[in-house]
Amino acid sequence: MKNDIIEIRWHGRGGQGAVTSAELTALAAIHEGKYAQAFPSFGPERRGAPVLAFNRIRTDRAVRERSGIIKPDIVVVIDPGLVSLINVTDGLKPGGTLIVNSARSVEDLQQDFSGDWKLAVVDAASIAKKLLGVNIVNTTMLGALIKATEVIDCDSLREPLEERFGARAKSNFEACKQAAENTVISEITPSGDKRPRSFAVEKLPKWNELPVGCVVTDVGNTKAFCTGNWKSQHPEWLDSKCIKCGICSIFCPEGCIKQQKDGFFRADLFYCKGCGICARECWTQAIKMVEEA
Amino acid sequence: MTSKRVGLESSLGIAQAVKLANVDVIAAYPITPQTHIVEGLAEMVANGELDAEYIPVESEHSAMSACLGASAVGARTFTATAGQGLILMHEVVTVASALRLPVVMAIANRALSGQLSIWGDHSDVMMARDAGWIHIFVENGQQAFDQTLCAFRIAEHKDVMLPVAVDVDGFHATHVIESFYLLDQKTVNEFLPPYVHPTPLDPDNPVTMGCFAMPNYYFETRKALDMALRNSKKVILETWEKFGALTGRHYLPVEKYKTENCDTLLVTMGSFSENAMMAVDRMQESGKKVGLVRLRLWRPFPTEELVAALSGAKNVIVLDRAISLGGPGPVCSEIKAALYPLEKKPHVVGIIGGLGGRDISPENFIALVELGLEKIKTGHTGEIIMFGVRE
Repeated sequence: MKNDIIEIRWHGRGGQGAVTSAELTALAAIHEGKYAQAFPSFGPERRGAPVLAFNRIRTDRAVRERSGIIKPDIVVVIDPGLVSLINVTDGLKPGGTLIVNSARSVEDLQQDFSGDWKLAVVDAASIAKKLLGVNIVNTTMLGALIKATEVIDCDSLREPLEERFGARAKSNFEACKQAAENTVISEITPSGDKRPRSFAVEKLPKWNELPVGCVVTDVGNTKAFCTGNWKSQHPEWLDSKCIKCGICSIFCPEGCIKQQKDGFFRADLFYCKGCGICARECWTQAIKMVEEA
Repeated sequence: MTSKRVGLESSLGIAQAVKLANVDVIAAYPITPQTHIVEGLAEMVANGELDAEYIPVESEHSAMSACLGASAVGARTFTATAGQGLILMHEVVTVASALRLPVVMAIANRALSGQLSIWGDHSDVMMARDAGWIHIFVENGQQAFDQTLCAFRIAEHKDVMLPVAVDVDGFHATHVIESFYLLDQKTVNEFLPPYVHPTPLDPDNPVTMGCFAMPNYYFETRKALDMALRNSKKVILETWEKFGALTGRHYLPVEKYKTENCDTLLVTMGSFSENAMMAVDRMQESGKKVGLVRLRLWRPFPTEELVAALSGAKNVIVLDRAISLGGPGPVCSEIKAALYPLEKKPHVVGIIGGLGGRDISPENFIALVELGLEKIKTGHTGEIIMFGVRE
């Protein structure tokens, strides 16, 4: 490794296993005799909400830093939808590496970023669905990390995977190896002629701008909170199978499935978190969960 | 404003003040030595003397929880507790200040268990020290009555909106029948305007209180609370000035007793101060230059006033009626910190005494000062010195 310390930031969603990815990376590095850290961004992680996990790896001595990583050498994006929601390259060092799980083409993704970075792309979702039977790509993405950066060896993952997954370690290891093979490496340029992207920046109040006792008086302000951007899949209704019983609406934990004038049901995708409970509860299997693009 | 002097137990004097303040809600769980305060109030509510909700809760934790709810809807709220009761309440004590709810609480200062002691010292208050409340120490029944009334005015002032604890030494102050000058209802009504919460809990105008604070918010919420507590001193001073003009009874954050031309100053807090005054009288009669400084306002800590009162002395002897196990006495360490920036610092010696209700008589105080001066003379001011313990 050329740097003294390698810092990795993982972007995922609650429930997708970004923290597990970081933990396995650290365990593999420690297995190799290196020094490593893995830690989550401590917070109210909810299934589907954007979350972060971090790694620090070095060879010469123990890692002492104990704070979030704001200037990573490597960024791994586990959920393809996050690229348009969050500035995933925020603080990524020049010469750093961006690793993205996406079914999109490399050329298309290159248009989303402007910087002097290496880009590694893999369609991890397809690999995971084929080899693991689920769209959970945290172990699969470890393969892309290994291919793009060589921070750890693939073989070092065997033991940590076995400890974590037991009988399922083999298929996870296979998915990881497959991803390493399929990962396409290219470059991103700092050219300004890129697809424009903008991200919401929260304005934080000073201490003397807080109301007395921090009372929140603008009630119902969570209405503006787009929980719909947490989802990695959304429900689609096959109305020919629907008997208009309304079970989907009753079971929806978000309360966002409403009956339309024609009697059929639809979810308000601004709030739908893509949990799939409606599809699971539907008696006639009229609801199908479809992956987000 | 003079009224007829009446005899009353101090606890019942506090109850009288709470009644005159015309509180809306009292939620309390009885615990010695606070019991007489809340029994007195329960009786007043039961016999119709006081039109208030008395909530007999199942624990101190529930007492403070009920007080928060009541205060949040805009009700004038009172509770009282002591010792382990305050500790059990503690989880919610910090919420009162964070939500800026002006609950008034009498703490009948009591020692802390394992070895169960119902008797007085300041250990319970010291564990509540950092919870964001205003703490006012009193020395006798009259002060307890006066400060309970002042507490409501300070707490509910729009520029303060903070809970206030009136710290009354268990037994040495709470259970003594002594003489009082009470106030009439009209005078109290003029002194104490109605409590108005700017954004109360109200089903017609819903608000959220006690919301979640991520790391990018929490620190600012703490600074806002800290600044509110520090800035409350202005209203405290103004309230005491107004009360003084009304009654002739004057209060200050730091009160001096015969300190002029004194080399040595004793510092006390709470009911033992009166014994200390007697000791000072006697010592000065025999030509010793020993005076007394009494700390009335514990939070916000009156650094400025303390430095002004102590900086001219050669020797400062601080009595702590609490022990910070394994560390220096809590009052003494704060006084040392306040004096540290001075170029010419007095010698400061901290003495721990009066734990678990053990007396310190005026004679004892003379011996305590002599012990402190001896330690200063021999250069042993850094050690933990206990007065009145069998060694």
